[in-house]
Amino acid sequence: MVLRIDDAYIQYGASVMAVQGCSLHVAEGELVSLIGQNGAGKSTLVKAVMGQVPLHGGTITVDNRSVTDRTFSTVRNRISHVPEDRGIFASLTVGENLRLGGITRKDKSALAADLERELERFPVLRKYWSRGASLLSGGEQQQLAIARALLLKPRLLLLDEPTLGLAPIIVDLIFDVVVQLRQEGMTILLVEQNAVRSLEVSDRSYVLQAPGKVLGSGSAAELGKLPAVVEYLGFSAAEVGVAR
Amino acid sequence: MILEFLISAVGLGALYALLTIGVALLFGVLGLMNFAYGEIVMAGAFAMYLFRDQPWFVALLMAIVFAVVVALLSERLAFHPLRNADPVTLMIASFAVSLAIQSLARMTVLPRTRGVPPEDFLSHRVDLLGADVSVLDLLTLALCGAMLVAVAWMMGRTSLGIQLRAAAEDFQMASSLGVRANLVIPSAFVTVGVLAAIGSAVLVARQGAVSADMGLQPMLIGVVGAVLGGMSSLKGAALGGFLLGAATALLESLLPTDLIAFRDAFLFSALIVVLVVRPQGLLSGAKVRVS
Repeated sequence: MVLRIDDAYIQYGASVMAVQGCSLHVAEGELVSLIGQNGAGKSTLVKAVMGQVPLHGGTITVDNRSVTDRTFSTVRNRISHVPEDRGIFASLTVGENLRLGGITRKDKSALAADLERELERFPVLRKYWSRGASLLSGGEQQQLAIARALLLKPRLLLLDEPTLGLAPIIVDLIFDVVVQLRQEGMTILLVEQNAVRSLEVSDRSYVLQAPGKVLGSGSAAELGKLPAVVEYLGFSAAEVGVAR
Repeated sequence: MILEFLISAVGLGALYALLTIGVALLFGVLGLMNFAYGEIVMAGAFAMYLFRDQPWFVALLMAIVFAVVVALLSERLAFHPLRNADPVTLMIASFAVSLAIQSLARMTVLPRTRGVPPEDFLSHRVDLLGADVSVLDLLTLALCGAMLVAVAWMMGRTSLGIQLRAAAEDFQMASSLGVRANLVIPSAFVTVGVLAAIGSAVLVARQGAVSADMGLQPMLIGVVGAVLGGMSSLKGAALGGFLLGAATALLESLLPTDLIAFRDAFLFSALIVVLVVRPQGLLSGAKVRVS
């Protein structure tokens, strides 16, 4: 198992419970989505995996190593996180942002080949290589954020709301890339509000309800049979049009 | 007359830009408003005094060594244990470090102001394209200008520079990409030490004296220039410092003699106007890590 979250509790301040007893797992090569409304605790969980917010109860392990373990940093260096705000360095050029993606890698020739592959996947990044990242559109910045994350050659890719606020054509592109990465065997945890598209592309999904409780999990078809999930999402699996 | 003024204004601007980059770099990387920055400058100045009988460039090299050592010691002893502390705690710690170093200097090596006679060559004037220019102004311009070019090269062309810029903009994101805190933070302090040392050499040459509290003015220049340019942007900070220096030189030339004493009042009034119009600073990005 690449990622395992068991009975996680996360609290902001003294009283705001963001995640309450959440458990989920992502196996090697799986594309798992985490869907739910604003404030359901999805992004908080991802930040906890990255060690950016403290865990108040339960455990989170990546490759069987706990995020609270002192040696976790070696594992964390193999996790790529594309945050909700994309995390682009506005004062750096596109090329410099991409260079940072491979900063921990020693296999420089393989890195060069991977960079070439990402530039083919996202041609706009080659076109704007020397341009300041702040000058890119939202969709271009998202492509840069994903390409940079992939250059780490991650063991686990965490995508937090990658289509938020983007034009429909870019949303299609991002979901196409996610499917492509899944086919290449990458292990992905996708956090999305776009439940329909997420259910369509994912192997399994977890539906999260505030404060960070799992309402249901499984394939789109399985989730469609759970009345609480159908009521919460506002549609059933049949409406998603999945036949996976 | 115009060329003489330009060299003086650009030189002072470059000196102030060096000082502001030092402040903005630590603010960006650590969220640290380092009030002990002035004492790093003072350490460099003390080396200029201590090695005043040596050739000038030897004293300059020793100033770099002294300033870098003080910068690294302050990081290791005071700021490293507080790495995850909130910005207010860091700021108070920097006050403590500032006062501790200043008091230590006053108790031991600098109980009173020490004169550092300027090098002979610095008191000369030369003819440049018909203008009568002081060597000190030329040296200020050449040294600080060269240092700014070196910093720009390091920040723009080297892997360390890119990591420093990324860390200065968003430390958490840089860290999650694998930029190592144990590399960039000490590197930032070394860079700050070098910048402070060059600044101290020029200040000692201009003032001809060294004292335990001499760091206050360069620290204020650094903070004010960085706030003016934008704390979250190194380019902005450099621009803020440069404009502050150039405006200082301009006011010194234009103000009537009886108003020169109030130069800073004019300067800071202008600063307030700029900040009212652009509270985030002239070139600030969107991300400032201190709430």
